[in-house]
Amino acid sequence: MNFLKSLRVQETTRARLLSVSVLTIVALAISFLLPPVADSQMAGGAAITIVILGLSWLIGWSGQISLGNSGFMAVGAYAAGIWAHHHATTPLIFTFLLATVAGALSGLIIAIPSTRLRGPYLAGMTLAFSAAITPLAQNFTSVTGGEGGLFLNSLSTPSWFVHFFSGPNATIDANAQWTADLAVLVAGISFFLMANLFHSRTGRAMRLVRDNDVAAELVGINLGRTRTLAFVVAASFAGLGGALYTVINATVTPQTFPLTLSITLLTLMVLGGIGTLSGAVIGGIIYAFSANLVDHINALTGVNPTSNLGANMQGIIFGALLILTMIFAPRGIAGMGAAVQRLRKTRRSALASSSAVD
Amino acid sequence: MGAFLASNFMHNIFGGLAQGVIYSLVALSLVIIWQSTHVLNFAQGAMAMFATYVGLTEIGRGVGYWWCVIISVVVGMAFGGITERVLIRPLYGKPEINPIVVMVGFLGVIEAVTAGIWTSTTRNIPAPFSQIYYQYRGRLILLSPFVIFQIALAIGIMLFVAALFRYTKLGLQLRAAALAPEVARLLGVRVHRMLTIGWMLSAGVGAVAAVIIASGNFGLFPTDMDGVFVAGFIAAAVGGLESPMGAIAGGLLLGLVEQFILAYWSPSVAPLSGVILLVVALMVRPQGIFTRSVNRRV
Repeated sequence: MNFLKSLRVQETTRARLLSVSVLTIVALAISFLLPPVADSQMAGGAAITIVILGLSWLIGWSGQISLGNSGFMAVGAYAAGIWAHHHATTPLIFTFLLATVAGALSGLIIAIPSTRLRGPYLAGMTLAFSAAITPLAQNFTSVTGGEGGLFLNSLSTPSWFVHFFSGPNATIDANAQWTADLAVLVAGISFFLMANLFHSRTGRAMRLVRDNDVAAELVGINLGRTRTLAFVVAASFAGLGGALYTVINATVTPQTFPLTLSITLLTLMVLGGIGTLSGAVIGGIIYAFSANLVDHINALTGVNPTSNLGANMQGIIFGALLILTMIFAPRGIAGMGAAVQRLRKTRRSALASSSAVD
Repeated sequence: MGAFLASNFMHNIFGGLAQGVIYSLVALSLVIIWQSTHVLNFAQGAMAMFATYVGLTEIGRGVGYWWCVIISVVVGMAFGGITERVLIRPLYGKPEINPIVVMVGFLGVIEAVTAGIWTSTTRNIPAPFSQIYYQYRGRLILLSPFVIFQIALAIGIMLFVAALFRYTKLGLQLRAAALAPEVARLLGVRVHRMLTIGWMLSAGVGAVAAVIIASGNFGLFPTDMDGVFVAGFIAAAVGGLESPMGAIAGGLLLGLVEQFILAYWSPSVAPLSGVILLVVALMVRPQGIFTRSVNRRV
């Protein structure tokens, strides 16, 4: 039995790689079946998934509440936007790396004062940061393009990919498809990295710091450095997600990152499940198809979607979902699955022990 | 004297104070809730904004300014009490992230509902006093009857809250319920009722701040209070969240810092002034300027 366990530990990275690859390939396959509109929704969802992964890591695993991840996302988005605006020929991977580093740096700057704070102080501090980002982007017009933002060249789809498509809209269809596939691929890689980080030595140290900081200090974990690291990692993921979002939409504006984006990110993470990997993906999927969801609810309740109330339905639904989830199912959708599994396991072990008595 | 009042320096002092008293009010309302229930109410600004919209609607029906203030405050207080009973009470004793997340969600709901009812366009409450600045030999003094009213009203509210806490039986019960709930309960204080009253009081103070902001030039729109809430939080945190005096001082300080950065450094950097002040203050005194140092219990 022990032998089996040790085998499993050695195999986990490879197993993780395998399962993430399978998931990514399934997502790519699905993108071929979806219409172009759904493809672009999927691309947005993939970008948001990356941001939620970072947020889930920060709040769920290091126990630090941040409302600033939309700010980190904006930093990454602007880093990518400003660079690609001036250097249109740079390979995409370099733009992404640059945005990730920019995000990480902003995370480090915010972490230095923030990691000394706890709970509500920390939440307020990070909120202040993300609230300052939009006016800053509006003010430094020469760099950020001000209110109107920056425009980039849209992604160029390679010609071999366009050959898969036929019909009058072949190029448009191929573009939507290519963008979605690229986003899914980046999200898949990020997911793999985060999955490894969750189960690494650092990840375990992070959880110990969250649950019992005195014990963590006693076993030689540097609290400040660990908490800072959590911020830097979360911010770099947010930066990458923001860059991907920018590249997908080929534009970056201050209005993309309002304060409500922080609420949306938090809602998606809580809905999916705080501190779970699958929860981040669930959150991303909900984000991608939230417009359809809102349309559906509007149709169900008979609210006119063009009316004033209909236009604000998304905010009402997301906020209400956040409250209800937190009060009635704080573990989110992924947590519900885990709870069912645990229940089944305990029932099975109870059965096994009762049969042993017989 | 007149020349001094019209100087650039005094311009910034008056501008900073006028803005600072609003931050102080919001910070004070946050501290009242924090003291009693240890919840940072992220929906504080939005709740006040909603109450002011109700008051504004009554002005549209031909009600005078003072009725609008009273209606806003009463609606705000009712809203605060209901929020505590319905949303916050189930969360006592839960991890501290739960009330934060719930109130952030509530913030989203209130703003969306407000935009749904009243649209997102900016509305104005006519100012009750003239907004024309005084002059001294052709030079502006950055004070108008309205600014003086604004500062006086804010100070009046602060004194009222201070007197309530210090000199009334209710204030004593409120403080007892916040400081030692178990002992207070044994001595016959209805602790849960005190918490509800604390929330009502706080929401009322917040509503006054929102009415002042909406009067005159700035106007009222659904996301109006986001920035003010953040500023109020920074002010409260600088003062140490536990201390009403600290909150008021923090608010005035933030107003002045913002104004001076705007005037002497760069308008572009001004949005960051709150973050800068908070970082500096927390580096120097992480437990806040006006609180006694308390070791965190393990």
